[in-house]
Amino acid sequence: MKKGIILLLMLSIASFCVFTGCSKEQSAGKKIIVATDATWPPMEYVDENKNIVGFDIDLLSAAAKEGGFAVEFQNTAWDGIFAGLAANKYDAVCSSVTITEERKKTMDFTNPYVSIGQTIVVKKELNGMEQLPQFEGKKVGAQIGTTGAIEIAKYKNITLKTYDEIGLAIEDLSKGRIDAVVCDNPIAANYALLNPKYKPVLKIVGTPFTTEEYGIAVRKGNKEVVDMINAGLAKIKAKGIDKELEKKWLR
Amino acid sequence: MAKINNKTKIEVTDGVLIPARDDSSIFSAWRIAFYGAISVLVLLPVLSPEPYCHVFKFVVGFNEDWHFDFASSGLVKTFEVTVLSIICALIIGLLVGLGRISRYPVINRICTVYVEVIRGIPLLVQLFYIYYALAKFVKIMDISAAVIAMAICYGAYISEIFRAGIQSIPKGQMEAALALGMTRSQAIYRIILPQTIKVVLPPIGNEFIALLKDSSLVSILAVSDLLRRGREYASTAFYYFETYTMVAIIYLILTLFFSRLVAIMEERMKTDVNQG
Repeated sequence: MKKGIILLLMLSIASFCVFTGCSKEQSAGKKIIVATDATWPPMEYVDENKNIVGFDIDLLSAAAKEGGFAVEFQNTAWDGIFAGLAANKYDAVCSSVTITEERKKTMDFTNPYVSIGQTIVVKKELNGMEQLPQFEGKKVGAQIGTTGAIEIAKYKNITLKTYDEIGLAIEDLSKGRIDAVVCDNPIAANYALLNPKYKPVLKIVGTPFTTEEYGIAVRKGNKEVVDMINAGLAKIKAKGIDKELEKKWLR
Repeated sequence: MAKINNKTKIEVTDGVLIPARDDSSIFSAWRIAFYGAISVLVLLPVLSPEPYCHVFKFVVGFNEDWHFDFASSGLVKTFEVTVLSIICALIIGLLVGLGRISRYPVINRICTVYVEVIRGIPLLVQLFYIYYALAKFVKIMDISAAVIAMAICYGAYISEIFRAGIQSIPKGQMEAALALGMTRSQAIYRIILPQTIKVVLPPIGNEFIALLKDSSLVSILAVSDLLRRGREYASTAFYYFETYTMVAIIYLILTLFFSRLVAIMEERMKTDVNQG
């Protein structure tokens, strides 16, 4: 019996090695390592098979295919993601990164690939609150370091609660511990309109109140990778692949 | 025989090294660390106000013109969590500690199981469990969830201190009290516990320092304590090195300060015992 277990273990390890070995052999050309915080459905998240999937993932993979380079995604916590980029741990961050002036000071961006806006999610029974200033004196949650958190912080009388993951903020909202959550509209739609658990209790109010563009962040001065990704992005735009992906993930 | 007597006692605790008066080398190590940390805390913001000064203001809770904002202060939140937790943990610890020396097998067994279960689960997991898993049944606000989890965890450790403290009181004390006609519970409240408190105060001080450090774990529950304020600052301003340097130094100063207080308290206790 014991021998059987050991044999099974060794077999699984061996098959795992073979499996990873195969995936490595496939990658031809230059390979870049891309960090993503896979807690942001539908842009990037971990599916039930523990694979990182989502719009960003498909888009960059398609761009890599067209541009003739390979990408490897690495799941990284959001609040240290740019520190890792600066510390040379990976070549790019493709994780729904909004291009902001503040961020441009410390990193370079590729051309924008999709535009979104910040949206407010509240509980279904809350009526008449549609604008962020109306939430003065209330608790509003967002993921730490996101543009949503930065927007809330502009209002001094709103108590900003920052979460490590947007999913935890949504969970707290559904439990009534906070009054609203601010996040990008595709994510808000995914939780409040599609998610079977949150669909009955949450809703989106108002229209997106900011206009932002996602770009892929690259270490300051790393022009090679920026050009490589930009070339790939241009090719998939010309072929209309990006529109197909938007239809697949964002509708 | 001599060999046995020469055996040195090895004490390893969770808290920082508590200096004793007579141990000059440790005391000077404390001095170097404490005054060094304070001078770094003062010098960094003075020498490069951007970003150290901003980090300090943001984390400790000053707004731009140095007005202290109580509600948004990470320092105040850290203290709030620590002090509330240690109070609750002391109550739990005392009750469970008494339960563990109880003569009633049921109470004894329940308390022992509690200690075994809690000590076997990482504090981080307990925090998640109480905050997210129990939220299914009861609505607990963030800070009370943090306090409950910390109190339940540290209550188990502190109960062990109480139990050891009670058992360290010589048996003769109890026997004498019983011989004078006291009931067992009277003897415990009037004779045993007052003596126990003197024995257990220094280790409880140690637990307090350990709890102050562990309180940084509650930042995962979106409690805006020192660490989370630091992370909030770093994640938007991208000054990671500077922010975490300041946060670490503030924690270091706090724990060193309290370790000194505990040492002084221990000193006082000793003289009190000698005089009494």
